[in-house]
Amino acid sequence: MAKKILVTLYRNEVAPRFDLASEVLLVTVDADNREVRRQELVLAHASADDLCDLILDREVAVLITGGMEEEHYHYLRWKRLDVLDGIAGLAEDALARYLRGELESGDILFPRGEHA
Amino acid sequence: MDNTLASSVPLAPFAGLIAAGLDRADLPHILRALPFGVAVLDRERRTLFMNSVLERLTGYTSEEVAGVPCRHVLRGSFCLHACPRVACAKSEIPVCEAESREGTLINRHRRKVPVRLTSVPVLDKGGDLLCTLDVIEDLTALKELEARLTRTAGPGAIVGRCSAMEHLLRILPAVAASDATVLLTGESGTGKDLLAEALHRASPRARESFVRVNATPMPEALLDVELFGQAGGSGESNAPRPGKFQLAQNGTLYLSEIADMPLAQQGRLLRLLDEKAVVPAGGERPMRLNVRVVAATGRDPEALVKAGLLREDLFHRLNAVRLHLPPVRERGEDVQFLLTHFLGIYATKFRKQVLGFSAEALSLLSAYDYPGNVRELRNMVEYAAMVCAGDLVLPDHLPPHVRFPQAAPPADDPAANSSAARVKHARKKV
Repeated sequence: MAKKILVTLYRNEVAPRFDLASEVLLVTVDADNREVRRQELVLAHASADDLCDLILDREVAVLITGGMEEEHYHYLRWKRLDVLDGIAGLAEDALARYLRGELESGDILFPRGEHA
Repeated sequence: MDNTLASSVPLAPFAGLIAAGLDRADLPHILRALPFGVAVLDRERRTLFMNSVLERLTGYTSEEVAGVPCRHVLRGSFCLHACPRVACAKSEIPVCEAESREGTLINRHRRKVPVRLTSVPVLDKGGDLLCTLDVIEDLTALKELEARLTRTAGPGAIVGRCSAMEHLLRILPAVAASDATVLLTGESGTGKDLLAEALHRASPRARESFVRVNATPMPEALLDVELFGQAGGSGESNAPRPGKFQLAQNGTLYLSEIADMPLAQQGRLLRLLDEKAVVPAGGERPMRLNVRVVAATGRDPEALVKAGLLREDLFHRLNAVRLHLPPVRERGEDVQFLLTHFLGIYATKFRKQVLGFSAEALSLLSAYDYPGNVRELRNMVEYAAMVCAGDLVLPDHLPPHVRFPQAAPPADDPAANSSAARVKHARKKV
């Protein structure tokens, strides 16, 4: 069965904040987690409430995003969404990890401690 | 012991600083001792270090986020569109000055925190950017204080500078602190409801309920249930129903027009005030109540007693403390103060740059007698602020009955009599 995954975007990264995301990546995958459709949507303005409406309107099943307020998190969980928040990393990395079943809320995907 | 940097890259974040001559091995200790959040960021605004205050604020440890772009650690509202680095790049200045901005961050625990960010560039000996110190102050306490002050200084606050109002505001805290029954008097629109709420907010009962009762005309039995509740019966449909007094338990009950209450209920109220107990309708056992009663009337209470509309014994019981709110026409110098006060509030609300009133507008407004008192004055200023497009409120921005006092309707028009009288009064004052 097909499933829709929404990743909030800031450039090529997962948007650091759900309420400030003005672009989203909407990916539809089939039962074998193979990508069947991909859309990038630019929103009229950043708003957590509007984004929640869009998510429910598009029947999204999985949300991958950065920091989000508890209120919106619990609302979407209550709407039976799989919410993976607090993700810091490139959007494609996060998506690929999710499809491999390796992504969890709060994951930091950026390389760490390699600078100085 | 400071183990913030005890990771796979021990002290590496400060290697650049050391190379630049800022050879301070105790730098982490110094930063950790500061009472506000500090993040050390590299040239690309990747996180090198966070002190313990910022670790608590964000919910991350320095080790967890070493090398992560700060926008994913702070998650500030200023990170995406007003990032100091982006703003600096846009201005084409190689190294920017320290600057502050306010916003919010969302921490690891999904809590939005109001903060002020001050970004301080640290330069090497050659004047090139070495790193940035982001100082983050938690503004939660300040914002809460601001909200509290706004509540007491917004459109719903009692303000005044005339001697009567100053006296009232001076004794208000002492009256609020006592548990005495209070009788508020004053014409319609003078602020009796606000004063009752202010008394409650300033009282030790502030955390409990403030219940307002309008004893509007209704069958006495129904009013009895509404005020004093109903005892439970045997069936499910006969569940006990709390009255306004039960809802106000431990708090304040405000009777907005005491003379509207039928005499029978006035008798029950008197018993309640004396015995601190009430028997719900249909019940037998009295229920203990701890409620402070504040009553108000827009009419002269002595006249109400004489007219038989207010029980004399109840009047004396309620009259333990009496606070009178003067009408606007008796507040003299307060009119201009109130006009300016409300203009400030509504100009901010409507995001207008209205600075004040023109001399003509002020003359008309000062001459008007405000039969609707502060409520009318406030509504008038709200309207003026709404329609005013410039920086001064002009006569054109005032309602017609203030603007054209000479255009009074004929005296034989009964509907307009009160307005005509007002205009006449206003013209006399001019």
